[in-house]
Amino acid sequence: MATADSIPGVTTSCAPPGNGLLILLAAMTPKQLESVFANLTASFPKESLLIAAPDAIADALPADSYPSLRIVTAPASNSVWTLTAADYVNVYLLAEKYEARAILMLGSESGSLGSAALRDLTNAVLDPIDLALPCYELPPHAGLINSAILYPLTRALFASRVRFPLVVDLGLSLRMAKRLADAAQRFTAINQGETPLWPVNEATVAGFAIDQFDVGLRIQPTAPELNTILPLLIGPLFSDIQAKAAYWQRFRPLPPAHNAMPMPPAPTTDTAMDIAPMLSAFRLAYTNLHEIWSLVLPPNSLLRLTRLATTDAAAFRISDSLWARIVYDFLLAYRLRTINRGHLLGALIPLYLAWVASHFNIIASGSDPEGHIEAVAAAFEAEKTYMVSRWRWPDRFNP
Amino acid sequence: MQNVLAVMLQLDPNQSSCSWFAGNASIWRNMAHALHQSLDRVLLLLIAILPGILAFLVALAVFTLIGMALSALLRRVLAAAKLDERLADRRGNKNWAPSTSPTALIARVSFWSSILLGLIIGVSAFDASYATATTLPSSLLPYLTRAVEAAVLLIAGTLSARFLARSVLIGAVNEQLQYARFLSLGIKWLVLVLTAAMVLEHLQIGGNIVGLAFGILFGGIVLTLALAVGLGSRDLVSRSLESRAEHPRESAAPPTTSPDDSIRHF
Repeated sequence: MATADSIPGVTTSCAPPGNGLLILLAAMTPKQLESVFANLTASFPKESLLIAAPDAIADALPADSYPSLRIVTAPASNSVWTLTAADYVNVYLLAEKYEARAILMLGSESGSLGSAALRDLTNAVLDPIDLALPCYELPPHAGLINSAILYPLTRALFASRVRFPLVVDLGLSLRMAKRLADAAQRFTAINQGETPLWPVNEATVAGFAIDQFDVGLRIQPTAPELNTILPLLIGPLFSDIQAKAAYWQRFRPLPPAHNAMPMPPAPTTDTAMDIAPMLSAFRLAYTNLHEIWSLVLPPNSLLRLTRLATTDAAAFRISDSLWARIVYDFLLAYRLRTINRGHLLGALIPLYLAWVASHFNIIASGSDPEGHIEAVAAAFEAEKTYMVSRWRWPDRFNP
Repeated sequence: MQNVLAVMLQLDPNQSSCSWFAGNASIWRNMAHALHQSLDRVLLLLIAILPGILAFLVALAVFTLIGMALSALLRRVLAAAKLDERLADRRGNKNWAPSTSPTALIARVSFWSSILLGLIIGVSAFDASYATATTLPSSLLPYLTRAVEAAVLLIAGTLSARFLARSVLIGAVNEQLQYARFLSLGIKWLVLVLTAAMVLEHLQIGGNIVGLAFGILFGGIVLTLALAVGLGSRDLVSRSLESRAEHPRESAAPPTTSPDDSIRHF
């Protein structure tokens, strides 16, 4: 089990400093670190802050540069592109040790987060909010897995409007951190500490308060390539959905979108993306993976994919309902282990690329990207009855 | 044998037809005698091992019934004790698939354990009767064991071939290799040929011919794949090598940001 130790020469008292906030930093370069510290001191000029950071960061910091910051060492994260189960266990242990009452976790490249964003996230978790999430401003060709699968699935199944369910920066109340640490220990106990967790799902099931805040532009850490990242994300998400089936099978109304709810702005520049490689990947997969898809998808979906495979690039569109059903069918096949799970998630990649191509076509035709993503999420909600039916009686719908 | 030779020696054209007929009758009598003797031996053998076969079947049937009863009983008891719910609460997973619930698993294990026990007892009974049937060829039972092992090997090889073929197919498609299906088929047949050679070797069929044929086939498939990939993607490989040679540092160090106009999936 990971432990945290104070840096020699720095105070070792475990008393909660200032407002009882613990800030956990990911590994980052000295330049990024300077930026984060500058933003933190600008956000909380009169308060002393407890910062947990990996050894290398703590050593790189001059002791007298930021007198209001008290730095303790924390285990370095295994992943730079997302928060993992091991991170949640470590941060909860630190929070317990230093008697913190709220936690702010900042991922790699968090130097690009403004001081207002840091203040919003922190103030939220120091108040009654249990889970404070950032809403990033991203260009339309970024965060596509989130737009295609993570956000619509989370919204439809867990009735949450959180636009970015999997983030690298977030604020946690102590009880939320405990809940996440409990969930994370199931993975760390079996040496799967690099598995991403789903804080929104946990908070929703626990009935905790969630809020999201517009944090503007942020440089996103580099993620692995698509063939690696999609199975890494979707596998744990499907497992989590399976584990929480008793919750999401009941109908729950989506909370109304209040005016203060931030939404990523529409793009200012129209940059047409080249969809030809994605379409060729989809067509190649259609000729080769049809047999595998036919084990997962019903004939109706296969027929629509057949039509799509022969559609021109300019007219290529995957209807929102078809995409929702495809994702639900893959989720069900994951649960039933229709085929090997690694194969299943691999077979989803070309279909996802087809959705991305379709999304770019829709954007290029003048539609608002965010409007299309909202329409996709609405289609997921509309098709939830299909999903619940198949989940409960899978044999009735066997393809 | 001596009788047969004697009969053959009597086939002299100078001998009378009467004696020829008498000799012919002697052949038939000897053949009938030999057939009777072999029939007697087979019947005796069957009589000797029949109790063993019956004991095997009865043991299997009885333990199958016991397994079914035990399985049903365990299902009811564990369902009444709400084992699934208790374990789900402890594990955090509240939704067992019907086929993977702990109750179903325990019931299934008990059923198949009973069948396995029945098999062991049945085989023991058969073995005892086999030992008494001394006329049974001594290599039959070991060969049956080898056949079972070979069947298991065949099933495992076929499953492995299918799994590997799918893995290669999906991986190659996601890498956008045009010859994905060809690669997948190549891998599948490599594993199947390897499995077939192992099975035949295990059954001791063919001797050196199998090894030789396997070597030729395996080598042929590998050579075909190497030629196909080498010739088909020669440009791709050379471009890849050139780019690595030109920018070794760039490929080693992960970029912190990507250009704005590139697609970022996460």
